[in-house]
Amino acid sequence: MITFLILAAVMVAGAIGVITLRQPIHAALALVGTLLALAVTYVTLEAHFLGAIQVIVYAGAIMVLFLFVIMLLNVERQQPAPRWPWLRPTAIGVGLLGAAGIAAVAFTDRTPLPAREVIADVLQGGSAERIGTVLFSDYLLAFHLVGVLLLTGIIAAVSLVQRERSNA
Amino acid sequence: MVATEYYVALSAVLFGLGAVGFITRRSAILMFLSVELMLNAANLAMIAYARQWTAAGGSQALQGQGAVFIILAVAAAEVAVGLGILVAIFRNRVSTEVDGLSEVHS
Repeated sequence: MITFLILAAVMVAGAIGVITLRQPIHAALALVGTLLALAVTYVTLEAHFLGAIQVIVYAGAIMVLFLFVIMLLNVERQQPAPRWPWLRPTAIGVGLLGAAGIAAVAFTDRTPLPAREVIADVLQGGSAERIGTVLFSDYLLAFHLVGVLLLTGIIAAVSLVQRERSNA
Repeated sequence: MVATEYYVALSAVLFGLGAVGFITRRSAILMFLSVELMLNAANLAMIAYARQWTAAGGSQALQGQGAVFIILAVAAAEVAVGLGILVAIFRNRVSTEVDGLSEVHS
């Protein structure tokens, strides 16, 4: 429970940093902290492979891409007064209400966790072998579609940032 | 072991913070960061429920973790395309403020 509380504190602090810090670089680094704490949480939830993937793909590749673009575009601090003054309190109210609603539903419909042995036996630490078995049976179609999606994403990213030949 | 409800509550808090950030932020890059936060909150709930459902057997419980893997791949593609769009917008406008973007508006 203590581990969970520490990780939760780090995650919530990072998330608040993401939505309040003025420098985009600082916000992105706060998100990296949140994602790393999330990876540790995955390990405590018997999902070791996904924890490693979270560090490599999310905290590594995706956030590096973000930092790269922030530095490339040289986005300086720019948080002028909001156009609608009621927007911020309304957003905070809606966010609080939604989070409280989800948490309330989760706590009213409590079911006890299976025994520790059952969890360890079924998940086997969420190893790559166990996840691969699911990916290549139940999620076979989704797996193929994701491959196509990644290829489309690569082509789209290249063609979006390509300058017109006549302008060059 | 910590019960699933606490993980789901934490996930809900992270999702709410992401939603607040998405609404209140005005720079497109910072809105994008908030969206990533919401995606990860959903992943956390999914993995927590994968552990909860182990009593139903392996093929049921591991579907949660498999879904998280698929979501990670989709998020990677989404970030590549989204940042490409941002760079293209920035080239034309030298700003990532979303309020000024009204070209699509007829």
